[in-house]
Amino acid sequence: MAEEFEPKIVAFLCKWCSSAGADLAGVSRMEYPPNIIPIQVMCSGSVSPLYIFSALSQGADGVLVSGCHPGDCHYMKGNYYARRRLALVKKLLEYIGLEPPRFQMSWVSATEGVKFTQLIKELVKELQPLGPQTKLRRNF
Amino acid sequence: MVNLEQLKEEAKKILSSGKIKYLIGYENIGASWQVRPAFICRPEDVDRLVWTPACFHNLTRFIHDEKRKRAREKNPDLRPIGLIIKGCDSRSINVLLQEKYLERNEVYLIGVSCELAGVIDETKLRNHLGGLKPEKILFGEKDTIKVIVNNEEREIPAPQILAKRCLECPANYPVIADIILGEKIKRNPTDRYKSISQYEKMSGPERWAFWLEQFSRCLRCYACRSVCPMCYCDECVADSIAFAVTAETTAEEKAQKIRWVERNPEPSENIFFHLVRAIHLAGRCVDCGECERVCPVAIPLRLLNQKMEKEAKELFGYEVGFDASQPPLIACFRDNDPQDFIR
Repeated sequence: MAEEFEPKIVAFLCKWCSSAGADLAGVSRMEYPPNIIPIQVMCSGSVSPLYIFSALSQGADGVLVSGCHPGDCHYMKGNYYARRRLALVKKLLEYIGLEPPRFQMSWVSATEGVKFTQLIKELVKELQPLGPQTKLRRNF
Repeated sequence: MVNLEQLKEEAKKILSSGKIKYLIGYENIGASWQVRPAFICRPEDVDRLVWTPACFHNLTRFIHDEKRKRAREKNPDLRPIGLIIKGCDSRSINVLLQEKYLERNEVYLIGVSCELAGVIDETKLRNHLGGLKPEKILFGEKDTIKVIVNNEEREIPAPQILAKRCLECPANYPVIADIILGEKIKRNPTDRYKSISQYEKMSGPERWAFWLEQFSRCLRCYACRSVCPMCYCDECVADSIAFAVTAETTAEEKAQKIRWVERNPEPSENIFFHLVRAIHLAGRCVDCGECERVCPVAIPLRLLNQKMEKEAKELFGYEVGFDASQPPLIACFRDNDPQDFIR
């Protein structure tokens, strides 16, 4: 029986909300797929487009950037900047021809452990039919 | 039509007053129609200046060289430098002012309006003339361009040989300048984003095939970076050699410099470089089209930059280069920015 494709997802989680949300999912013993590689960043606003391109270039099948809900940012407005900048990144990646689900952004607060597990399950389900990401992967 | 004599007179006036260090304009290369940037220091040299449809260079680029030189000199000459600018060049000055890279009193701007014409596209001209070599190219009446071939004058309607960027130009007159020569005439509004519309209609895989083919050709000569009026960083992520080394830089720092992207001209690295370039120019690119013009392998770079410009306009209502007092695109936000893509 052919094994199902397991996508590798690099997740940039902001320290104050999404990381805590993921932690909550962990300590509450909620189950979610192990496809995610969490990277803690201080704020979603600190995620440079370079990180995203770099993750894709080094073989990530999907990239997730997650931060606090608008208005909840620890640094007052970091997530607003992230929203604007990453909207452009998303449009650009789609324009180049990368499948839209490969780059995702979400708001997960520290209390939303359930939302986080749900989100990861959905992401894995979306990425599975697409197969491995080879378009931006470094190939030499 | 911009009067060349008037342009020379203004240049002479400001040069002889000693208010500017030098003036950057355009001059003919020998007796040919081709034009190159001219650096004019003395009032008696202003006769070298020309203004033709072949003046495609964006002279804003030379400000970076001047600023770097000033930083190195012990007693720099701090007088402003003079520039002859077209509509697109004036917008790039505005972006540099917005980013506080430049102070308004560091430059003296002589604006020339393109009026109903603009600058030509060399390939279009070559195709139009069918292999004949032009001797002179001049602005004609209204929206025509006069081309002299074999001592015979031909009037060509401007849209036939104008560069694409000029046909899609949002403002073909300087939006910031100390003096403006010529009239502020706006060409009939054409579709601003005509070039990209056909690619936007394609499906994802089709677009990918198109871009992969384009980017595979890239030689990584960085001509696009060198010519860009917005590329003034001392360090460049795209180029592992270009990073600022000072006396304090340790060997360890040099060794541990992150190589985001390799220098090999491999498709994957080329795509990375161009993605970074496109994102870095989002909200800054003024669509002067120089990158596309200088590309030795004809990669349609304007399609990328124009897409970002369009998204900035549609998503955030941001127009590049018209107002030097507003903050740059990604250094500001609004509460109601679209977020339907966020879960």
